Amino acid sequence: MKYIRIWYRLALNSYGVQAASPLSSFGYLLGKLVRIAFFLIFLSAIFKHTSALAGYSLEEAALFFLTFNLVDILAQLFFRGIYGIRSMIREGDFDYFLIQPVNVLYRVSFNMVDFLDVVTVAPVLVITYYVLKHIPGGINAHRLILYLLLTLNGLIIAFAIHIIVASFAVLTQEMENTIWIYRDLMTLGRFPSDIYDAPMRGILTFIIPIAVMTSFPARAYLGKLGQGWIWHAFFVSIISIVLSLMFWKFATRRYTSVSS
Amino acid sequence: MRKYWFIFSIYWQEGLQQRSSFFVDRFRSFVVLISFYYLWTALLKGRSSFAGYDHSQMITYILGMSILRGLVFASRTYEIAGEINHGRLSGYLLKPINFFVYTFFRDLSEKSINLVSAIIEVIILSCLFHLDIRWPQNPATWGWFLLAITGATALYFLLSFMVGCWGFWTAESGGPRFLFELFLEFSAGAFFPLDVLPKGLQHALQMLPSPYLVFFPLHVFLEKLSPAQLVNGFAAQLFWLGALGAMTYWIWQKGVRFYGAEGS
Repeated sequence: MKYIRIWYRLALNSYGVQAASPLSSFGYLLGKLVRIAFFLIFLSAIFKHTSALAGYSLEEAALFFLTFNLVDILAQLFFRGIYGIRSMIREGDFDYFLIQPVNVLYRVSFNMVDFLDVVTVAPVLVITYYVLKHIPGGINAHRLILYLLLTLNGLIIAFAIHIIVASFAVLTQEMENTIWIYRDLMTLGRFPSDIYDAPMRGILTFIIPIAVMTSFPARAYLGKLGQGWIWHAFFVSIISIVLSLMFWKFATRRYTSVSS
Repeated sequence: MRKYWFIFSIYWQEGLQQRSSFFVDRFRSFVVLISFYYLWTALLKGRSSFAGYDHSQMITYILGMSILRGLVFASRTYEIAGEINHGRLSGYLLKPINFFVYTFFRDLSEKSINLVSAIIEVIILSCLFHLDIRWPQNPATWGWFLLAITGATALYFLLSFMVGCWGFWTAESGGPRFLFELFLEFSAGAFFPLDVLPKGLQHALQMLPSPYLVFFPLHVFLEKLSPAQLVNGFAAQLFWLGALGAMTYWIWQKGVRFYGAEGS
């Protein structure tokens, strides 16, 4: 309950900051929506010239793109605070968080809640529902639960990656750009992982599990993900979250304060 | 003129000094290049052409798109709004330099670094995947292409300088600029060739200056234009250069008169 109250308070603060610059916030919001709209137009335009992309129909390819957006937007919505870890360390806020009676990782991760993403995720959810309805077989409760579980699983992997980035920042007081490398790599999940050749697909499944985060939920919904791969997805998220938490502990133990 | 080349040299050195930011920027472009390479390869699998592009034309478009993104869209004009908002513009206005030319040379250094890097990335990708590039058959095409990319670079500079001038009237130009850049990249054909889009949308986009930033120069390079289309394209580029040049000058004059040097 205490943590929910803290999140609510931090969210209100973030809202205050964004509401203080309405024109800028509106520009960013519209930009995010335009990006999604353009890619959807592009996808539908592609299907005017072909009937399939790597064996998927328009609705199926759109589901991959929307799942990528869901994981990406939700990760930004919830873990946005980690983007500012370097300045928190340099300006002494991190030292302040360490002495507060709250889990420091929680405090850092949720330090900022991007409300623009709350608005962005709404149309994505609506379009996803529309797309799911138009996929052969319509909305199926069993497959939908599996889809949601694997999307949540993707979000856990995203959180693990954010923790690793934050740990590097605590250790080195640098790595400001590392999170942007992750964001760029994430865009490889915009399209079904089947478009990549075997070595690239292997990298995206086993080394940097972008495909597990973005393609697996959609493939599971379409009934194109074997049982073994479903277990693989859950295994990857458990291993990555455990290892990232261990690394976070290791980094914070070695932190000797650089500011304040 | 020497002082502007000196500015070019200083920013070139600065650009190379901030290596991590530079590499992240280049990494971003490389990821876009890789993802679209795989997308189009998947779409062209088992067919000779897609939306009027054969395999080598599409590959050439993607590689050219990456190089032109490095050249045309690389810019530091986003700093203008901050310079205005924090009063740093006063320093430039007091110096014996023309701020417009100064920012152009600052941009030129950014563009040259990115261009060199983009060419290296394209060469690496071409070697790795043994890519079949469609080179122009007619030597004159190189001249036309050079002219088209010069026009595109000048056109983007005018547009982004004008957006930077919004800083005279608001301290919140970050969001609108983000929207402007996203819209421009998509409508310029910097992600995919615009003729993939439905005809109605293509015609609507042709009325904007953006297709002359990437799509038109690459069509010149691919020799996909008839002589009449080539003339029309250059005429449109020239028209936009004139119109945007006049508009930028007018906005700058208005802005400088409005400028209160707050924060300096």
